[in-house]
Amino acid sequence: MQTADAVVIGGGVIGTSIAYRLAEHRKVVLIEKGEIGAQTSGACDKAIFLQSKKPGFPIKLANASRRIYENLEDELEASIEFKKDGGMIVIEKESHLPFMKDFIKKQNKAGIDVKLLDRKESLAWQPSLSSHIAGSAYSKEDAEVNPLLLSQGFAEASKRKGVEIQTHTEVTDIAVNHGKVIGVQTDKGYIATELVVNAAGPFAPKIAEMAGIGLTIMPRRGAILISEKVKPLIHGNILCSQYIAAKHLEESNSNDPPYGIGLSLGQTESGNLLIGGSREFKGFDKAVEPEVLSAIAAHANRIAPALKQIRIIRTMVGFRPFTGDGLPIIDESRDVKGFIIAAGHEGDGIALAPITGVLVASLADNNSNYKDLLEPLRMNRMQAV
Amino acid sequence: MKYDLIVIGAGPAGMSAAIKAASYGAKVAVIDENPSAGGKLLGQLHKEPKSGWWHGRKIAREMETNLRQTGVTCFQGKEVWGIYPRWKVIMNNGEELQSENVLIASGATEKAIPVPGWTLPGAMAVGAAQTLTNYHRVKPGNKVAVIGVDPLSLSVAHQLKIAGVHVVGIFLPPNNEFSKDRSTPSQMISYLSSMAHAAPNIFLKFAGNMAKYPFVQQVGAKFYPRFGIIIWGTPFYLRKTVLEIGGAEQVEHIKVAPVSQEGIPNEDRVKTVDVDCVCISGGLYPLMELAGAAGCESVYIEELGGHIPLHSPEMETTQPGIFVAGNITGIESAKVAMEQGNLAGTVVAAKLGLFSYKLIEEAQKNVKEARENAVITFQQNIAKGREKSQQSWKEYDSKGVKLYADS
Amino acid sequence: MMRITDHPILEDLEKRPVTITFNGMDYQAYEGESIAAALLANHIRVLRYSEKNREPRGIYCGIGHCYECRVTVDGKRSVRACITKVRDQMCIKSQDGDDS
Repeated sequence: MQTADAVVIGGGVIGTSIAYRLAEHRKVVLIEKGEIGAQTSGACDKAIFLQSKKPGFPIKLANASRRIYENLEDELEASIEFKKDGGMIVIEKESHLPFMKDFIKKQNKAGIDVKLLDRKESLAWQPSLSSHIAGSAYSKEDAEVNPLLLSQGFAEASKRKGVEIQTHTEVTDIAVNHGKVIGVQTDKGYIATELVVNAAGPFAPKIAEMAGIGLTIMPRRGAILISEKVKPLIHGNILCSQYIAAKHLEESNSNDPPYGIGLSLGQTESGNLLIGGSREFKGFDKAVEPEVLSAIAAHANRIAPALKQIRIIRTMVGFRPFTGDGLPIIDESRDVKGFIIAAGHEGDGIALAPITGVLVASLADNNSNYKDLLEPLRMNRMQAV
Repeated sequence: MKYDLIVIGAGPAGMSAAIKAASYGAKVAVIDENPSAGGKLLGQLHKEPKSGWWHGRKIAREMETNLRQTGVTCFQGKEVWGIYPRWKVIMNNGEELQSENVLIASGATEKAIPVPGWTLPGAMAVGAAQTLTNYHRVKPGNKVAVIGVDPLSLSVAHQLKIAGVHVVGIFLPPNNEFSKDRSTPSQMISYLSSMAHAAPNIFLKFAGNMAKYPFVQQVGAKFYPRFGIIIWGTPFYLRKTVLEIGGAEQVEHIKVAPVSQEGIPNEDRVKTVDVDCVCISGGLYPLMELAGAAGCESVYIEELGGHIPLHSPEMETTQPGIFVAGNITGIESAKVAMEQGNLAGTVVAAKLGLFSYKLIEEAQKNVKEARENAVITFQQNIAKGREKSQQSWKEYDSKGVKLYADS
Repeated sequence: MMRITDHPILEDLEKRPVTITFNGMDYQAYEGESIAAALLANHIRVLRYSEKNREPRGIYCGIGHCYECRVTVDGKRSVRACITKVRDQMCIKSQDGDDS
């Protein structure tokens, strides 16, 4: 029988980041049902936006994660294509200006360097944009990373620290005895352990259920179009204010765009454009209707007409783990000791992966180093409201 | 527009299926992204032991005539970018076709073996050289090097020779993670010996037969002449590898080095050979992205060339109404693909009630026969691969649920 | 001479000459052949330059899969030269990374 100090379930950016930190002084096994970084973490864009986060705690959390990114390539001894190349939120309509002005003011107060650019300034920085836009919010603090390299980088660094990674292995049961975790059953064997971390993203509720715990995380489907390689066309990453409005003004449902569409636009190292995206609740159905793909393309074309001439070569679809309040759950279960949940990052998994590993290690070590960051991420906050 | 069957891909499998189903009265559409129907048939040219020259272009033209005569609607030069339940097939011009039955016969494509300099114009997949030579009648180059030793590369080398192209040599690929088991002389010898039985091609026959002697296998490649064997004026080097393709704007030369039995090049004895074209061959793999995008479950079977859609003995995938035939189900010769197409076309016609199911069994038998009598085999152990494929289907079928239903 | 004229096994093709333009120069091609074949017959291998490092690129897979041979045809970007037939008076331009 195999034994481990900790078993991490899920090999995406979150799970690999956690395994890497836990391996500091533990024997860790990471279980992944497919390949490393191949689900949610492999079907997302590459932006690490700070300025798009809600002022207050979300900014504080994102900032803490961002600070880890600064030295992460050295730490992992791998290129993850981390670049501080700035981010822009395009304000498409005049009617979004008041909301965005207010948003920028709050961000500045929180210490985020964001500037409001008028139409001319926006076009000077990003010439592919439509001349019909109202302006933009620009921050040079926004950055980007290659999500595929990120999970690979964490996984390889984990292996060097002694983590055993079992891919194509599925967890079938969590063994619990007298309110304590005692092991994990997979389709390949049993691992005795007193610490289990559920980092299964949108699949986290299924894992939690095996331990008798109910989790309210829902899969929110997002589609991204991928273009052929083109010359450098986009500087840094672009969102649109509609995305911000959709994200932060959940109450204004009446104005919701169809399929939850909001622009996210960036260009990879090799020249492909990543054009997002939609936000829909469709269970785990991967078959995105052609209408949704057309709507994403039409929205992007409106904001950046230069895209019209460029061929789309494929699309990718991911399921973002949605919690309802835009924050992940990072907490140890009160009912089952030794069962930690680190899931529900929705669209912020890439931005928050580094800090999540650190927070889970802190929970596991039972220290209070990150009390202020962990408190708002407790799982019972959902019931408390 | 509604059809009884939509066929995607007008290669040997797709055309056979369309003709078969249409000849029983089904309303069939064929979509193909190439300007002319035929797929990989178009470039094929080899000698069959009994029936003489297999002239792919001519066969494709005859099948095209059959398509017209049976009233099949052909959308040539149109790409399919999506298949949606159940089933809408959408083309790149925005046009949408509907049918309860879709056959994906997308064929195969070549595996790449990156060699330094391989992006230079003049370096191309061996299949591209084949189409240029036999279909377009344009020489891919005046002095050509072939990298990679397999049935396709040897066949094309021979065809180049026939067309009057100077082939400077057939070389091993450099030893990297993409060439894996095809880059050392020892592995090559055992590979060739296993393939020699199925060779319409003089190169493969010669090299394979030589490799078949236990003596040669025992000593491995040690005694294979370093200067190669010259077959029909073309040097066949089992102990030389191409380290680099060079040139300013296009291919001008290759750098060649002798290799040890284990595939380690001797960097002290690098020679430069002038060429204007390099054909790279890394073998073929099934092209199954479209089936994957339509939600068909797949299985990896080494012997069949890679990932293939899981399919029943009636060629139906895990998505009801989506069928597959031809190289998407595993790399085999055009004749097998045609019989698979006939089978799929027969199954769909039977499903539509156009005639009895009895004929399916016969069509299945024909596939088996074509396989047994194939003069070209691209993969080792194809029979074992087919067995595995059937086994995977049985396992899937017995579960009675979709494999991904839990996620 | 890049054209294969007296093939020992295959009979000659029926050929109807057409004129195509590539980067402003006129060339003779034959109806029914691909852009890539027509240009190669005229000794043209470089079809475009890569977007990032501006390296020359030409035909690679020959079946429309790799997209290395894309050219601009009559103003339409990213047409695959290997699977597009020539037409009389077709105007073809290489894609140079900075004209996209």
